Amino acid sequence: MHPTRRTGLKQFLSVVLLAALPASAALAQNPILIGAPLPLTGPLSPEGTKLQRGYDLWAEEVNKAGGVQVGKNKMPVKIVYYDYQSNTSRAVQLAEKLVTDDKVHFMFSPFGSGATKAASAVSERYGVPTLAPTASSVEVFDQGYKNLFGTMTPNDTLTEPMSDLVRATAPDVKRIAILARNDLYPLALGNEFEKSAKKRGFQVVYFEKYAIGTLDHASAITQIRATKPDWIIVTGYINDMILVRKQMADQGVKVPIMTMITGPSYREFIDASGPLATNVTTASWWHPAVRYTGNDVFKSSENFTRVFRAKYKEDPDYTNASGAVVGVVLQQAIESVATLDRDKVRAALASGKFQTFFAPIAFSPQGYATSYQPPIFQVQGGKPVVLFPKAIKQAEFAFGVN
Amino acid sequence: MLYLQILINGLLLGGLYSCIAVGFSLVWGVLNIINILHGSLIILGAYAAFFAYTELGIHPFAFVPLAGLLLFTIGYLLQAGLINRVMGAPVLITLTLTFGLNLMLENAMILAFKADYRTVILNPPLGMLDLGPVVLVKDRLYAMVLALVLVLLLYVLLRATRIGRAIVAVRMDRDAAALMGVNVPRIYAVTFGLGACLAGAAGSLISVIFPISPLSSIGFLGKAFVICILGGLGSVPGVMVGGLVLGVLESFGTLWLGPDYSTTIAFVLLLALLLFRPTGLMGKRGFE
Repeated sequence: MHPTRRTGLKQFLSVVLLAALPASAALAQNPILIGAPLPLTGPLSPEGTKLQRGYDLWAEEVNKAGGVQVGKNKMPVKIVYYDYQSNTSRAVQLAEKLVTDDKVHFMFSPFGSGATKAASAVSERYGVPTLAPTASSVEVFDQGYKNLFGTMTPNDTLTEPMSDLVRATAPDVKRIAILARNDLYPLALGNEFEKSAKKRGFQVVYFEKYAIGTLDHASAITQIRATKPDWIIVTGYINDMILVRKQMADQGVKVPIMTMITGPSYREFIDASGPLATNVTTASWWHPAVRYTGNDVFKSSENFTRVFRAKYKEDPDYTNASGAVVGVVLQQAIESVATLDRDKVRAALASGKFQTFFAPIAFSPQGYATSYQPPIFQVQGGKPVVLFPKAIKQAEFAFGVN
Repeated sequence: MLYLQILINGLLLGGLYSCIAVGFSLVWGVLNIINILHGSLIILGAYAAFFAYTELGIHPFAFVPLAGLLLFTIGYLLQAGLINRVMGAPVLITLTLTFGLNLMLENAMILAFKADYRTVILNPPLGMLDLGPVVLVKDRLYAMVLALVLVLLLYVLLRATRIGRAIVAVRMDRDAAALMGVNVPRIYAVTFGLGACLAGAAGSLISVIFPISPLSSIGFLGKAFVICILGGLGSVPGVMVGGLVLGVLESFGTLWLGPDYSTTIAFVLLLALLLFRPTGLMGKRGFE
């Protein structure tokens, strides 16, 4: 026999032998591997980095406590990161690599609704339970997939209470202008806003999409100005919001209510917009002001904020918290079934009710969370304050965005 | 009146576009280098202006000459030390080199400045000029005027100075210029430096208008490309016309087809020009 072929045979045999060993014995020394493709560079890198901080903090806290309790063993967690450079097709390739090459047990989705939907096909093909921290568009969950679990509530849970709040506090507001980024989540959100507004008898006087990467909004703003709206709604990501807000001010647009999602709940928006951020309203799924208690490693919203601040020297925002909560939910699901068996963990995720620092989390049959109400904010005095829900309200709605 | 406002928006934007593209056009026209670094050099200028304003209180418009000087130095050294070594090689080699340098600069800026978006918030803001039916945004107006002044300065430099004539001579016939005693590698370095200088100056101007991040460079590079082809390589007036045409087209595209298609118009026109008038609107051989 050829020597190399003999070595090959040996290797083959040893692999078979290893595989035949009792699974628990092998796993006891090994960490739980979680795959996390993230946009660490490219246009989405601010968001990708935020998410990574959430993941890291969770992993660090769990490992400090000895690891995840899997039956009698404590297993540490290890998150395997890849940078997909804000390129969705690269995210899908890397998700596949994580499953087939790095042999991760579970996955966290890439950032945002679009990339989450694209990569969910990979998790479904290999049957890997996957938690999506930042996908809120129901369109992501309409494929009948069994392995995708999103911790954000759908977009209409932002637009409905926001429209109610405006209706209740500003009866004079009638004319609405919507400018939406032509991208899965921002456009879906724009459409939800239109629906919510029409349902309440508001008049939508302007609804346009802008292309990803638009640098100049001056002409769209000129048109919006000409329609004399009472309420301007802009959807997109933080860089779009900074740009649009600045260019609205350039043209002297003054409006009673201006809503921008997402962006104003991030410190970076307020830093970059300065006084222009004042009275801009927004909504997001979490904020340091919320008060939930959980039976997770962070125990409460307040404690999460404290631990985060201690590590990163700044306040957490909802993307940071979203990163941590997917870890928390996965951990609770694994601990409830005391195994890493994907089928059992998937079943635990689908049927479980998870008390977390983020909010109570339970998933609909489609796989998105429906178990909590995201707060509405307004930037007042250089920071976001909660307007709704009532239980955690910090300030009255202030009108006039100049 | 809406049309007049849209036209003004377009012209204001177009002036800035010209300034963004002129350095790129110069380097491409004279050195035959497609300078992928150009967008990042603009952003570097913008960051310099941002920090000059927030740390030292220097107004970004006053900072334009300093940003230009700083970037000129960087550009000169890059060309003299690095790019000159591959000047005889096919265009793909210089393209790859500037592409690689761009990756390095972009990532260095991410490390140094983070990827967060920042804007210069002028205090007090410049406000706007309300002319009744139309408004003129002052920071854009001043930036556009300054941008056009810079473009004109380059035009004068190329036509009326010894170094400018040498640059044009090298572009027309490198060997003949060398025989006339022109130090060709030095002219290359000066030209690349000038391109970078204009990028830095443009960056300083746009820092007041657009949010900046190390990752927004690609947007500016893309605009520069389109403008160069619209206006035609090798002429300063061409770049000016190309920039203004692009600005006005995007403005009216937004009005007629919605903001989603405004950028599409520019590229459709670009394709049409490449098909029917590949030299661009005002292109010709040599850089004048």
